[in-house]
Amino acid sequence: MESTARPRSTGRFLVLAAAMLALAALSQQSWAAGFRGTAKSALAPLEAQMMSLAAAAEHATAIFGDIASLRDQNQRLTAQNQDLKRQLAELNAAAYDNNELRNALDFQRSFGHRTVVAQVVGRGPDAFSHTLQIDRGSDDGLQAGMVVVSGAGLIGRVRETGPHGAIVQTLADPQSRANVFLSGSGLQGTVIGGPGALQVQIQHHVGSVPTKGEWAITSGVGGGYPRGLVVGMVVNVTHSDAATVDSALVDWVNDPATLSLVIVVTDFTPS
Amino acid sequence: MRVAGGLLLMVAAALIQVTWAAQLEIAGAFANLVLIAVVGLTWTQGVPAGLLWACAGGILLDLNAPGPLGPHALALLAGAYATGFWARNLDRDSPFHPAAAVVVSTILYSLVLIGADDALGLPVPPLRTAAQLTIAASLYNAALMPPALMALRRVTGGLHWEQTAA
Repeated sequence: MESTARPRSTGRFLVLAAAMLALAALSQQSWAAGFRGTAKSALAPLEAQMMSLAAAAEHATAIFGDIASLRDQNQRLTAQNQDLKRQLAELNAAAYDNNELRNALDFQRSFGHRTVVAQVVGRGPDAFSHTLQIDRGSDDGLQAGMVVVSGAGLIGRVRETGPHGAIVQTLADPQSRANVFLSGSGLQGTVIGGPGALQVQIQHHVGSVPTKGEWAITSGVGGGYPRGLVVGMVVNVTHSDAATVDSALVDWVNDPATLSLVIVVTDFTPS
Repeated sequence: MRVAGGLLLMVAAALIQVTWAAQLEIAGAFANLVLIAVVGLTWTQGVPAGLLWACAGGILLDLNAPGPLGPHALALLAGAYATGFWARNLDRDSPFHPAAAVVVSTILYSLVLIGADDALGLPVPPLRTAAQLTIAASLYNAALMPPALMALRRVTGGLHWEQTAA
């Protein structure tokens, strides 16, 4: 009995595995992008409901204690903290390149970029995919490649869009790259994504050494991101005179686990 | 009825996984509720049912991930197939075996997913990070598996769904 069941299960497994591989190969084609985007944004309204439900449940727990109010207070303080970090970065950067940099940092005010605010309705289905699902899509003017930020700084870029939803690849993704400069020393480097901490490879420059506490800010070099977006603070530097680059760890200003709203810059086209 | 119930379970597991569960990270990993549901269904309903629900649940997860549809379904299929071997040959009433099966399934799931992502040109984490995340996810899933299986047995038993693993 078992000896016949096992080959039958193996046969089913192989057929289904082949079918899923074929589905992956077909849905990866450029002509299937529209269908894929539509299918992917189909779940966005349900996910938004789930997030609302979670928020409602949080409020309901308030009757058993002050958890909800403490959370609200914590969120307010976190938002204030992010705002203060941004202001601090602005002031710090001003010492390096006061006028130009301050304008660049407050891109919404000074650059006049057009933006769309979106709600985070979901996250990547496993710990390997550092993505966010948002409730705005191509019907709202979003396109793949657009830059996504928060009040605190850079989050990532739009990777895929559907009519009513989009997937955002965050800086924590191992393939994310962002060219930055350091606010204190002015050294240029590249931030490389990673799930634990962001790493920055800094080019050597005679007479300048990166230091802890400097802000990493997008340089605009390469045209991938607009100049002046705060990425994070340098928390650890590994310097070697023999090496051509220094490496440092950057404490990202954003925590994807706590983001609920994001801003998509709709009029910046990465080159 | 059985299809509707299973579909409801899969949709609920997928939605909870990408909304609420993702906020309950431990050591960078969070519970893979769809994998737990697939292992549970394979354990209680048999391998054929487990394989089909792995496809359905995987496609639901693929809808929330960048890239093509299919890699998560393929990864879950591997998990369901491995669970089938376990369920056929060992004491199905012991709470230890499903927990161990979900650990093995999580490891297989991660390996297949990373392999598929790599083949499709999608981002993959460095080996060391992937190993850390897989270990953390395995333990997380193992802790949730016994109570989840108990709940699933109650539901499927109440609906007369019980079946031997084929």
